[in-house]
Amino acid sequence: MAAQALSGRAVIVHDLALENYGFGGDHPFNPLRVRLALELCEALGLLEDYPLVSPGPATDEDLTTVHTLTYVRMVQKAGRSLSTLSDLLDYGLGTPDNPIFPDMHEACARVVGGVLAACRLVMAGEVDHAMCISGGLHHALRSKASGFCVYNDAGVAISRLKEEHPGIRIVYVDTDAHHGDGVQWMFYSDPDVLTVSMHESGRYLFPGTGGVDEKGRNGGVGYSVNVPLEPFTDDESWISCFEAVVPEVLRAFGPDLILSQNGCDGHILDPLTHLSATTRLYEHVPQRMHDLAHELCSGRWVATGGGGYDIWRVVPRAWTVLWAAVSHQHLPEKVPEDWLSNWGEKSPVELPPLMRDAPEDYPQGPPSAKIAERNLRTIQEVVEKVLPSIQ
Amino acid sequence: MLLVKDSMTREIVTLSPDETAGTALALCRERRIRHLPVLEEGRLIGIVSDRDLRSSTPALGDPARAKALQEILVEDVMAGDVVAALPDDPIEQAANTMRERRIGCLPVVEDDELVGIITTSDVMDALVYLVGANEPGSRMEIAVPDRPGSLAGAAGVFGMCGINIVSAAMGPTREPADAGKPRERIVVFRVDTIDTAEVVGYLDEAGYPVLWPPKP
Repeated sequence: MAAQALSGRAVIVHDLALENYGFGGDHPFNPLRVRLALELCEALGLLEDYPLVSPGPATDEDLTTVHTLTYVRMVQKAGRSLSTLSDLLDYGLGTPDNPIFPDMHEACARVVGGVLAACRLVMAGEVDHAMCISGGLHHALRSKASGFCVYNDAGVAISRLKEEHPGIRIVYVDTDAHHGDGVQWMFYSDPDVLTVSMHESGRYLFPGTGGVDEKGRNGGVGYSVNVPLEPFTDDESWISCFEAVVPEVLRAFGPDLILSQNGCDGHILDPLTHLSATTRLYEHVPQRMHDLAHELCSGRWVATGGGGYDIWRVVPRAWTVLWAAVSHQHLPEKVPEDWLSNWGEKSPVELPPLMRDAPEDYPQGPPSAKIAERNLRTIQEVVEKVLPSIQ
Repeated sequence: MLLVKDSMTREIVTLSPDETAGTALALCRERRIRHLPVLEEGRLIGIVSDRDLRSSTPALGDPARAKALQEILVEDVMAGDVVAALPDDPIEQAANTMRERRIGCLPVVEDDELVGIITTSDVMDALVYLVGANEPGSRMEIAVPDRPGSLAGAAGVFGMCGINIVSAAMGPTREPADAGKPRERIVVFRVDTIDTAEVVGYLDEAGYPVLWPPKP
């Protein structure tokens, strides 16, 4: 009975329409990754008791809680090829990172709608946990597309929940390899929204922000927590940093809802970043979010996807592991044969036979003791400088 | 761009020479500033820092302190030999003056009139602004030969890929990585892209080796 009570009811919010969010061609952000992940969940039998819930699109009113109307109109025009490249560039659109594509507004609004629906289901008490893996577009800024992100789904969802549930306290935990800058800036002065981002240091990596000193502004000081990790950080060091900061921060804050961004681009195989994590990290983080949600806010937890650019070997397994944690199901050891045979031919790389990486699969990078020591210093700084301000 | 007048503070809190150390210290505390120019009939005659004020008055807890704060005057403590900057001076010149003289600020004077003050933290702000560290971007370090056209060549590769450059900074020359090649310079670009993989390949091909990010 105890296990039953802890497991909570869970739901996946998804619809084929969410897979229209992608930039086409060789662009690294490929919605096929979402399909691969969900089909892997299905092949493992993890969707049997869980029908997918189809969300509606976010409205213009939803989007303008965090974006300017001018920007939303520009995205709408871009999707119908009604604007000049020069106008688009001012809004971060039409670049190699964020090329325009037909009906892009509709596709992006649908993703935002998915995360919004997931949050509303949890807040209404219909389920305890919800996952929308198309979400997690954390770089989108108020008036600018950035880093593959057009509309900021978490930003819109948090703003709407604040209107619908006055006084609500929300914690946003972002473990994507890139700093969750868009979400951080949207709530930088807000003490009711705590953002936590753990990411590869911005000294070199996009977007370049996310230093320990970015800890909020005015009344929001202490409510932006950043843990920049050294390039080549491995599971061991990453997990110990996570454990040293996240549970304590969340307990000090006392959230009513946890929203987690589960980008898996910190994996050693990811082509865009320089971290050295494996599936061990991507199993640990959601399990802990699950436990903390039950400990602190009656289980209320919404999980989104995020970055992840090794779409064949990493993303499907990482997000299946995520769903296993969200739905509290046992994770099988092997990648099922039918999924392998379905996708094996289409994959340009050999697909892994096991759900979990073995440590010996990956060669060691630079000496990890030195990196772990530097990360430890960062953690000390966070604990000394930022934690005391959280109430 | 990058002139003293672009970074200086224009609203200046000043003192007259006959004010007390107590008044001056209270001003520093209230306005959260560390340097106060001293004016006599509108003319700059000195500058006083919170450190000068502290070191010339008895320490907190010393019974003599209260009296001293009332008796010691700004003119007794101020530095009279003031180095000033001009509003049109390049900021690096002001930075260098502060560094060489080991001082934290320069008053800015034009036509005998005090028009602003520039401090080390203003210089830091200018640096952050210059390298575009407040805009999203990836940082790339590239070695280019110390030859005409190298910077344009490397920058052109970003243009060809449709990637906007947020900032660029080129350093002094150094020994080449391969003996026999010309000396080289390191250029640091901040570019508005999350995905540097493709452009790294083109830069390498074009003879501008990328030192960071590392190749996959």
